[in-house]
Amino acid sequence: MPESVAALRARALVKQFRRVRAVDGIDLSVGAGERVALLGPNGAGKTTTLMMLLGVITPDEGTIELVGRRLPGQRSEAMESVGFAAGYLPLPERLKVREFLRLFADLYGLTDGPEAVARGLARFRIESLADVMGNELSSGQRTLVGIVKATLHRPQLLVLDEPTASLDPDVAHRVRGGLERSCAEDGTALLVTSHNMQEVERLCTRVVFLARGRVVADGPPDQVAAHFGRQDLEGVFLHLAEGGADPISDARAVS
Amino acid sequence: MRAQRVRAIARRQSYVLRRAPQRWFDVIVWPVVDAILFGAIGVYFGQQHGVAAASAAFLLAGIVLFHVLFQAEISLATGFLEETWSRNLLNLMVTPLTELEYGAGVVLFGLGRLAIGVSVVSVVAFALFAFNITSLGLGLVPLVVILLVVGWAVALVVIGLILRVGQGAEILTWGFIAFLLPMSGIFYPVSALPAGLQPVALALPTTHVFAAARALVAGHPLPWGQVGIAAAGAVVAALLSVWYLTRMLATFRRRGFISRHV
Repeated sequence: MPESVAALRARALVKQFRRVRAVDGIDLSVGAGERVALLGPNGAGKTTTLMMLLGVITPDEGTIELVGRRLPGQRSEAMESVGFAAGYLPLPERLKVREFLRLFADLYGLTDGPEAVARGLARFRIESLADVMGNELSSGQRTLVGIVKATLHRPQLLVLDEPTASLDPDVAHRVRGGLERSCAEDGTALLVTSHNMQEVERLCTRVVFLARGRVVADGPPDQVAAHFGRQDLEGVFLHLAEGGADPISDARAVS
Repeated sequence: MRAQRVRAIARRQSYVLRRAPQRWFDVIVWPVVDAILFGAIGVYFGQQHGVAAASAAFLLAGIVLFHVLFQAEISLATGFLEETWSRNLLNLMVTPLTELEYGAGVVLFGLGRLAIGVSVVSVVAFALFAFNITSLGLGLVPLVVILLVVGWAVALVVIGLILRVGQGAEILTWGFIAFLLPMSGIFYPVSALPAGLQPVALALPTTHVFAAARALVAGHPLPWGQVGIAAAGAVVAALLSVWYLTRMLATFRRRGFISRHV
């Protein structure tokens, strides 16, 4: 991907599920190597937005371009440069970790599958899990393996949905460290959803807040907090969760 | 289509079969049970009329060919079901894997599984009842190909239904085949069915395959007319099933049904 090509460019996304307008005209872009958090209270439209960006859910309106490839027509080509992991996804029961990772190395078209798997396990310091069955892992180990899977092919864009939800602080710390190394070494852009605002402030240089399916703030964490008159992102989050935002008047982008 | 991805899916499916003993029921246990059951019934009825070997041959030819249909359908449908049972669908959908590559991988694995299942039923039929399915000759080849296509078509419809209505539809993996078993006249001509069901039976491509197989068992040449009708029916079934699955996949993506599988 040339430097100038954005990792992600989505315009005017709309998604309606029966009577619920889950996403209501979202514009979102992530630059090459940029680390962006997609935040908002439950029901704000984060996961629906992520699923549309990954081509799993078809938007009713709007356009999506991933690493310079237009969805849905070029989804397969785009996904060769995109990784995804979610804290809630299990590993298939009847596969060892090594077999699971090898499967995805092949799906990503890697020619050095076994080596890529070994590198990925080493990056997150979980080499000892290679021959453990997927259903024998703790939730923290599962999350780590999921992130290894998502970064095997050194993607240009890594999308993470609640990567550290329900993790012990030490495992969450290890996940963040691995992600930071991955982004720094490979120039990977990051789009992450999380309810852990401290994690977001540490990992991301830009936050996009959603409320009721709309973008209500977009900018560096400190500027977004200042825009809402709060000390930090947690204050903004609580403000939005309590319905404090008027999406219309607050829709002015901070940056 | 990338061969590497197709092979990866086939290998993933093979791990499941290797590590899930209950899956061997479909591949080993039912073929053995069916061969013994229908072989013994054939021998018994044949003894009543003094043509034991011939009766058993008709039933065993039917059950061996039925297992081609059964194994083709069930390997593709349960291959997909495994992804829903293990909540792996989203993981696969966010990779470069295309629907065609996924289907090809499961079919590739399914062909191996089918070979085992059909071999088992054939070997048991030969060992216990001295019935050699290969004695029917090369005429079997088009019949097997048609049954494979119909089996895959049924599986695609089942997958489409699972995408549309969720895992509640998984019972149809076995249900559709259970319907085809009596309606296709596997062991008897269509005339043996109640009059009201005969038009339905005649509309099924499988009915004409089994009628052609009975002709072979009786020592007649392959009735190409019936094979042609069966082949045309199989092509129609395949086209309709692909159309249906494509529509259901679009609905699945449009209505966000992935949320049922995470």
